[in-house]
Amino acid sequence: MDNTRKITVIQATAVLISTIIGVGILALPRFAVQTAETGAPLVTLLGILVASAGLWLITVLGVRFPSKTIVQYSEEIIGKWLARFGSLLIIGFFAILTSLAAREFGEVVVTTVLRNTPLEVTVIVMLLLAAVSSRHGLETFVYIHYFYLPLILAPALMIVVLSLKNAELLNLLPVMGNEHKELLGGVLTIAALFQGSFIISIVIPHMRRPGQAYKASFMGMSVAGVLYFLIVVATVAVFGPEEIKRLLWPTLELAKTTSLPANILERLDAAFLAVWVTAVFTTLYSSYFLTIHCMSKLFRLRDHKLFSFFVMPFVFFYCDGAAKHSGTLPNHSDCRTDRSDCDHWLSVSAVGGFHHTKKKGYT
Amino acid sequence: MGNKKCTKTGNKAKLLILLLLMPLIAGCWDRSELDERALVLGISIDKADPETEKEEPDVSHLPGQEPLPAKDMIRLTAQLAVPGRIPLGPGGQGGGASPGGSQTIWPLSVVGHSMSDAIANLQQQISSPLFLGHLRTIVVSEEIARKELKDINDYFRRNPEVRRTTWMMVSSGKAEPLMRSAPEIERVPTLYLMMTLEQAVKLGKFPQDFIGVFWSRSVKKGQEGFLPYVEVQKKDNILIQGMAYFKGTKMVGKPSPLEIAAYMGIKGESPGGYQLVKIPGTKSQAVFAATQRKSKIDFKIVHGRPDFSVKVWIEGNINEINADAHLNDDNIKDIERAEAKRVQKIYGDLVSNTQKDGSDIFGFGEYVRAKAPKYWNREIRTVEQWQNMYKDVSVHIQTMVRVRRVGMTTS
Repeated sequence: MDNTRKITVIQATAVLISTIIGVGILALPRFAVQTAETGAPLVTLLGILVASAGLWLITVLGVRFPSKTIVQYSEEIIGKWLARFGSLLIIGFFAILTSLAAREFGEVVVTTVLRNTPLEVTVIVMLLLAAVSSRHGLETFVYIHYFYLPLILAPALMIVVLSLKNAELLNLLPVMGNEHKELLGGVLTIAALFQGSFIISIVIPHMRRPGQAYKASFMGMSVAGVLYFLIVVATVAVFGPEEIKRLLWPTLELAKTTSLPANILERLDAAFLAVWVTAVFTTLYSSYFLTIHCMSKLFRLRDHKLFSFFVMPFVFFYCDGAAKHSGTLPNHSDCRTDRSDCDHWLSVSAVGGFHHTKKKGYT
Repeated sequence: MGNKKCTKTGNKAKLLILLLLMPLIAGCWDRSELDERALVLGISIDKADPETEKEEPDVSHLPGQEPLPAKDMIRLTAQLAVPGRIPLGPGGQGGGASPGGSQTIWPLSVVGHSMSDAIANLQQQISSPLFLGHLRTIVVSEEIARKELKDINDYFRRNPEVRRTTWMMVSSGKAEPLMRSAPEIERVPTLYLMMTLEQAVKLGKFPQDFIGVFWSRSVKKGQEGFLPYVEVQKKDNILIQGMAYFKGTKMVGKPSPLEIAAYMGIKGESPGGYQLVKIPGTKSQAVFAATQRKSKIDFKIVHGRPDFSVKVWIEGNINEINADAHLNDDNIKDIERAEAKRVQKIYGDLVSNTQKDGSDIFGFGEYVRAKAPKYWNREIRTVEQWQNMYKDVSVHIQTMVRVRRVGMTTS
């Protein structure tokens, strides 16, 4: 029995869910509403579909090459040098994603909770945490996700359910929305919030039965997707699209408006933020882990520990600089151009992969 | 071997000590003690008198130097909680506070050119940092509300400490007296103000309308917001006088308390209040109390304009009849009909009043936007368009009243 193959389907699912649910959850309803007003749930659904397609590709490839990660099998599919260039793109992309997520996290914390703490401190603490945890192997990585999952899911669902008390059905109609602004862009932005699902590519080689990765992908995407969808529905139903356009982090405002029955807690935002910090951590951890894991594979190293602190300064300075020259809040949509590059490369490699494996199968 | 084992346990012990020390060295950058915070419980905003400019301390600018905003100055009165004086628990032993709130709170008044200017001026006068997380009531004078509420809304919306469940209200006359009033029954005056409104929601005297709801409604394309309109009475109690309804961020009209019931009826909100109905054919009256209200708002597009029909079902009890009339099946039917007719008139009056002011507090426009998006996109699209169109849409109101219970008699 191979000693490194220990991850079960449920664990892989847990990794997916807790990786996907992250910083983006706070601004998600605003992205959706800016695109299609009351059509926000629909846009979210489309975004989930797009993201699912991406995840499906990665899973298919992972299952075809059950003992290799994307860095390794891409070399087989599209040739060494092209693949290395692609892998570099992936690494860069996820490093940037990590720093943008850390930045947005810091931004939320500084404006809403810890107003006197310097932004750098919250960001460094978060990144350090990710760096230290990433020194462990994949197994610990999976356990950490598995452990935090209920803590992320349960309160988020609770807020959705409790907030429906103030919901108005008219806010969700018409389902298609009144005015649309670059629908495609909006759908892609939402899909981009799910890009953490890429993590499955390094989980598959360690799964007990890699063939079951489909199941994990499907369940992971469904749970995270349903949660995101519900949050958009609840937020839009409570505030109405026009108000959401004026709120920076509508989900946080939703938590602020929602109270536990019987005056136990009059506002849930503090509780929600505590949960959210965990969610951000697991997401950061995943993208950070993915970055250094891919790096070690690219450089043919057996161990990835070497990079866990090496990458941190780059991530930190990118994130620190991100806002300094733009002066505005960075968010995931900034990543869209990066993402499309990455996606192009992915689809090329995927198509190549099909051809390749088919040829193999026939000859 | 033994040696190795020893170091191993030594390492473990060291680790344990480290772990135990961890909680001690952890700190909080944003630490702020409860008693070092100035908890603001209530804020009132008035228009300041022209000569108050002299009263202003030179906190945010020097006199006569900066180009000052051309707007009128505001007078902001804040109710601060006095730490330690607010008794915890029902015993009242906590701080020895007397009812009437003379000591539990500390009302302070400042002037300023804008909200943040006034808050800065206030901060200059008190020692601890102001904390708005416990702000429960915001009172704005009618004068300010009629002029413009945009800046005030903006300030509270952007401040992350402020709850969305805070109540905002409009006062008839000056708002400051509400901050200085000291009702006998509650230890903390602002809490009394808040309780008045929260209980009103429960008793059916006012619809749910905390500040978050007001904001959401006032930015909606097919709806306008409204706020409770209050007045201080002789004994420092607070009368909910009606709804101050808005057009955008400006207050445009104030209905009477009876019209709150009309609003709630049209929206189908329960429970209802009491109404005096004349028993047809006699000289006596019955008191009808609505317990359940349901409504259905529908519309058709007739000649390029939406044509609304509102159906309201009201169920209730007859609580009292004065004089010597006796209730029987026939006159109960009569009462139902008479009440339905009366209610229909009140509802119709409220709708036409709001139409005159172009303030669609019922959200009729939202129905059009939601259910006839094609028509909306073609003909209306913007808030202003709807405000104009609302003035001459037709609204047909139909009411049905049913008496459920009349009480039991022994004879």
